[in-house]
Amino acid sequence: MKSPPFEYHRAGSATEAAALLGELGFDARILAGGQSLIPLMNLRLAAPGFLVDITHAPDLAGIGANGAGLHVGAAARQRTVELHAETLAAAPVLADAISNAGQVPVRHQGTVVGSIAHADPSAEMPAAFKAQGGTVTAQGAGGTREISSEDFFEGYFTTALEEGELVTGVTVDAWPSGTGHGFLEFSVTKESWPIALAAVMVHVDAGTIDRASVVLGGVAEVPLRRPEAEAILVGSAPGAEVFAGAAEAAAAGIEPLSDSFGSGAYRKKLARVLTRRALTTAAERAGGAT
Amino acid sequence: MSGSSGPSVGAPPAARYVGQSVARLEDPRLLTGRGRYVANLVPPGTGHVAFARSTRARARITRLDIKAAAALDGVWAVWTAADLNPDVGSLRGSLVLPGGGGPPDHLLADGDVRFVGDPVAVVVAVSPAVVADALELVEIDYEDQTPVLDFETAAENNNLVHPELGSNVSNSAEAWPTTVDEAMAGADTSVRAVITQNRQANAPMETRGLLAEWRAFDETLDVWISTQSPHETALAAARTLGLAVHQVRVHMGDVGGGFGQKVFLGREEFAVMVCARRLGRPMRWIEGRSENLTSSNHARRDRADVSLGATADGRFVAATIDHLEDNGAYSNGGNPGNGRMACVHLPGPYRIGSVGWRTATVYTNTCGRGAYRGPWQIESVARELIVDMLARRLEIDPLELRRRNVLRAEDLPHNTATGLTYDRISPAECLDQVAEMIDYDGFRATQREVRATVGASLAPGERAPGAGSLPGIGVAVYVEPSAIGFGALATEGATVRVEPDGSVNVYAGTGSHGQSLETTIAQIVADALGVHPGNVRFHQGHGTPYGFGTGGSRSAVIAGGAARAASAGVRAKLLRIAAELMEASPDDLDLGGGAVAVRGTPARRMTVAEVAQAAYMRPDALPDDISGGLEHTARFKAPPVTYSNAAHACTCEVDIATGEVRLLRYAVSEDCGAMINPMVVKGQIAGGVAQGIGGALLEEVSYDADGNPLTTTFADYLVPSAAEVPSFEFGHIVTLSDSPGGHKGTGEGGAIGSVPCVFNAVADALAPLGVRLTDGPLSPHRIRTAILEAAG
Repeated sequence: MKSPPFEYHRAGSATEAAALLGELGFDARILAGGQSLIPLMNLRLAAPGFLVDITHAPDLAGIGANGAGLHVGAAARQRTVELHAETLAAAPVLADAISNAGQVPVRHQGTVVGSIAHADPSAEMPAAFKAQGGTVTAQGAGGTREISSEDFFEGYFTTALEEGELVTGVTVDAWPSGTGHGFLEFSVTKESWPIALAAVMVHVDAGTIDRASVVLGGVAEVPLRRPEAEAILVGSAPGAEVFAGAAEAAAAGIEPLSDSFGSGAYRKKLARVLTRRALTTAAERAGGAT
Repeated sequence: MSGSSGPSVGAPPAARYVGQSVARLEDPRLLTGRGRYVANLVPPGTGHVAFARSTRARARITRLDIKAAAALDGVWAVWTAADLNPDVGSLRGSLVLPGGGGPPDHLLADGDVRFVGDPVAVVVAVSPAVVADALELVEIDYEDQTPVLDFETAAENNNLVHPELGSNVSNSAEAWPTTVDEAMAGADTSVRAVITQNRQANAPMETRGLLAEWRAFDETLDVWISTQSPHETALAAARTLGLAVHQVRVHMGDVGGGFGQKVFLGREEFAVMVCARRLGRPMRWIEGRSENLTSSNHARRDRADVSLGATADGRFVAATIDHLEDNGAYSNGGNPGNGRMACVHLPGPYRIGSVGWRTATVYTNTCGRGAYRGPWQIESVARELIVDMLARRLEIDPLELRRRNVLRAEDLPHNTATGLTYDRISPAECLDQVAEMIDYDGFRATQREVRATVGASLAPGERAPGAGSLPGIGVAVYVEPSAIGFGALATEGATVRVEPDGSVNVYAGTGSHGQSLETTIAQIVADALGVHPGNVRFHQGHGTPYGFGTGGSRSAVIAGGAARAASAGVRAKLLRIAAELMEASPDDLDLGGGAVAVRGTPARRMTVAEVAQAAYMRPDALPDDISGGLEHTARFKAPPVTYSNAAHACTCEVDIATGEVRLLRYAVSEDCGAMINPMVVKGQIAGGVAQGIGGALLEEVSYDADGNPLTTTFADYLVPSAAEVPSFEFGHIVTLSDSPGGHKGTGEGGAIGSVPCVFNAVADALAPLGVRLTDGPLSPHRIRTAILEAAG
């Protein structure tokens, strides 16, 4: 199929992109890698009147780490981020998440920030971002603001962005050494959408978990943080029973929807299994006993 | 053997290329992106065609307004049933001519719609984008009616898919002797299961498509089409449009698969030709992926109520099948059903004294059924699953149970209880070979250890085991009726011509849709003429002798036979001309390496090019009864059927917690007679097995309760990629067929044996948990559900 007609605009900078969004109004959409938006347009499920292409804006292309964490610009391609030394050092859970998304050619085109801003609750990158924590930088006509990863995702394909704002980049928080991560997803085939996924982080100090983050994808309308599971982990020594308990807590209380790939009950079961297995891996990486 | 190969002259050709894994002649083109498919053709002035389709499974059309669509800038035509239907003749395929049954025969939906996807209007516009915009402007109002969706109750449903037919049953047949019930009752033990197969899509890499152009100056129609059968296209186009066949030229480029979907023309393809004739411009339709998944054809939606009776020591005494198939609304080519074909093959490669069968084909308000690689394969699924269930009942290993019943050399020829006669097959040998390849006994030993470990690790009080993976092994055997030779399928023709420069053209009636005929036919011709296969160019489509094309695993035997016969005629002529020119006897000549030489006197030689040059340019130098030129046309008529056979075995592990199946190894022992090109045979088997793995584990076309398709893109209809299939291991047993060359067909077998093989492996893995699997596909969720159900 061919998309409905639209007007194409190319922004040379973040400021220009924000200005174009303001000028073109509600019928304008940001075009980054286009790996979600363009198929939706070709299937005629989306019909924006205007596209503002930000992939030629040099100030949006950067990837870099500082003490606060890893910054990823809105035009940075997934494959570039996935293989970047700074990502592997500062946000390996994000690298794992990216490597599970789509095929390599798709990742050469798609952007990390585009996936996060698209806010598909079963997608990999939003869950990894939320698990590690960080901030979204949004820019609109009135300037820029920071939005916490905790507050950014509001519902299915819905975020805290205001009309006229674009995401110019995300910063993923740094975790100290002694941190391990686990990212696991379950999909029927390698290339199909995940039915459920788990992104977890644990920090182990002197044989005890002192910080943990557990996020589930594909089970709710947003990537879902599981504080009850984290509470079981923090203060405990890493171990199979603790992980099983945390996984149980992570899956308790969620009410995933059913579709042709699996019922809600099956997704819940997967959430428990994936969380347990991801925690086991994370603890090994953190250097703790399992 | 039938077939005309002219007088026998000189020594028979040496098999220099036949039997070798000759690199595919088409690969340099295909692998460097120079293949040419229909979508590559966009001549100036082309109109782009698209179809407004029903969004309802069953409804009366209360309003159809095309004004807005027709008024859109760039739209050339919008036509409905009222405009086009009266102008066209029968849409039936050549094997199902008028009177042969099948669904109503109309081009566009007329007054009502009968499945989601039913074409209601055709739109022609200046570009693909404009035609897509125009589709959204076609306004259709419906009055919904209750659709018939459940094929299992369709026969008894008074609500009719096609009211003009008076019944939802399109076809039925049975052969159920009373003796089979007696034999079953007298068996020491019997097992019964109702097996339901998942609806699947052919999902070729290249969707359907064509470019049609009416040439007013000589009143002819040129059609470039993605097809398995250029001659069927020409015959059907002529019938439908009221033309003589010589007014239609059908051209084929590369084809990205069809697997049965592209044998007969669909309603859309006819409509495009009608548009071309009316508008006098090239008309192009490239089917979208969603259209292909929802509106081309579906397959495999079968239910088999199957029983198998045996003696206490596992000798089969009786088998029955009560088979039902879902024909959808408009079956591909108007096919009224092929359940009989499935049922008579139920015995497979086993000695079973008594067999009863019954089959019915029913219409539903869903996308029509079409042929799909081994369209009758429910027989193998039903048989091989019930054999494993009997093995578990008798506590006899499934391989051992098969060995006790499989046909052996001393049993041949064998008449099945369903009236087939098998000969020149090797099921016992293939079974032994595959068991050795997969290390069956070694796997069983390891499996016993793992089962003990996993069993011990089960947490007390758990409803089902919570962790660990269970290993399983599956086996399946079948006999494949290849190269079926009845009606239009019985013969193929070929013309072989050596041109004046010694290069060779072969014109075949085939429709290679990717299965390497360009290479394998060239190998046959090259051996006959003593030249390199690269010197032989293969042509299909317009100007070739009539042939039915690709289907029923027939090309190696029948088209190969035709190429062999035609090239033998050329060979005889070539040798006689060379003998005359070199003043030798044809019997003293050796033909090879692109030259003819007098045996024992290598200096006396002529190249094939020199002989060819003389054949055309020096007619006075030829033998008196040869009037010049160097070509021959011949047909080959095949025996009624050429049986091939195979045994499949695979191993897997099933993650108990998630229900995920990981295939570990997959081995096939195949007997397709003498192989023309072993690499191509492997490719055929591998492709078929991959499709069967998809059918067993992943692929399921689904509809919601209102008859709306849910699997409309590859995000929902899952096909296997390289990540989902293991490496394949191939073994070959060679029993020559009685056709020239000794070949047998093997195009479909991979897709037949793999579904039950994978099913049996998964069932074997889960047997310790008491899990029973009868419905596909074995998705992780379905397996997990079955594990929970078995745990109670």
